[in-house]
Amino acid sequence: MRPLYLKILILSAILSLACTTKVSEWVLINALPNEYVLAYYHKDTISETVKQHNSEISAEIKSANIQFRNILKKDIDRPYYALYYNNRLFGKYNDFRELDEIALSPLRKRIAGELMAGKLCVMLYLKTGDPQKDEQGLQVVKKAVEASPFGETITIVDLSRTSAEEKHFISMLLNVESDLKDIQQPMLFGIFAKLKALEPLIAKGITEENINLMIDFLTADCSCLIKDDLPGTDILFAGNWENPAPALVNGIIDANPSLEHR
Amino acid sequence: MKQDTITFDTLGNRPLPKWLTDQRDGLNRYQPEIMVMKEDKSLGVSFMITGTIILLVVTVLTIYILRKNRKH
Repeated sequence: MRPLYLKILILSAILSLACTTKVSEWVLINALPNEYVLAYYHKDTISETVKQHNSEISAEIKSANIQFRNILKKDIDRPYYALYYNNRLFGKYNDFRELDEIALSPLRKRIAGELMAGKLCVMLYLKTGDPQKDEQGLQVVKKAVEASPFGETITIVDLSRTSAEEKHFISMLLNVESDLKDIQQPMLFGIFAKLKALEPLIAKGITEENINLMIDFLTADCSCLIKDDLPGTDILFAGNWENPAPALVNGIIDANPSLEHR
Repeated sequence: MKQDTITFDTLGNRPLPKWLTDQRDGLNRYQPEIMVMKEDKSLGVSFMITGTIILLVVTVLTIYILRKNRKH
């Protein structure tokens, strides 16, 4: 076969594959997570002690989707750290100790493990601390996932809004949209790919219908419309995203082609 | 952010996320082209052109035959 024909054949195969890959799998394999910026604002020369602290922070976040910068700013009272995502301020820290485990926490590690194992998504239920509100929404989530043909590829985790261990993760989730911090209601975040959190379902928005739409979104063939305008916020995470397991959702669709998207 | 929901008055008024409403309304898929029926005038035009050609040929042949006969 002539090399040109071979190239055309391979290109066609890649293109046809791209159009049948599911959103969750395509984003996990192909999309790089957006980067955060951790800025250290100072007005004086940086002392050796601070340099040492900053190099420790840099080492801790080395493999994460974040850049560290020192920024000289004359009009500040005291030095501080600030975390930005897409030019939005996510957090402000006066002491380097507040940045402990900013890029890694047990729950983020567990969720990343589930996604790397081929799960479609992890549904993270962020609780308010009001047992009545929390339990009602959680039951809806469990019922919807159990009833879904893709249920076994979805992991449900719940997280208390006041968890100290996951404070950075919770802060990032509550920054997915600008008003979430002010809403004291249960929230359901769909987390997929390399820890990309979709804008959440909140309170009465946590319905079986909406959860099924979330599953539909993630199991849809990845169209260019979605690729060009991917929703969600990438969570800061220091982990390895190489060689994920094949998506479990494909096995379910292969066994039952009627589940293929409409 | 582009996907961010807009400011709301109360939680009841808060809109659903854009990705969800797009999925619900089928906007994440390519929309099929809308076919619009147009008025078909091709048959009338065809008749007119055919008639014109026939008339032209008949006229030309008539003139040709008349001239030929006159010479004889």
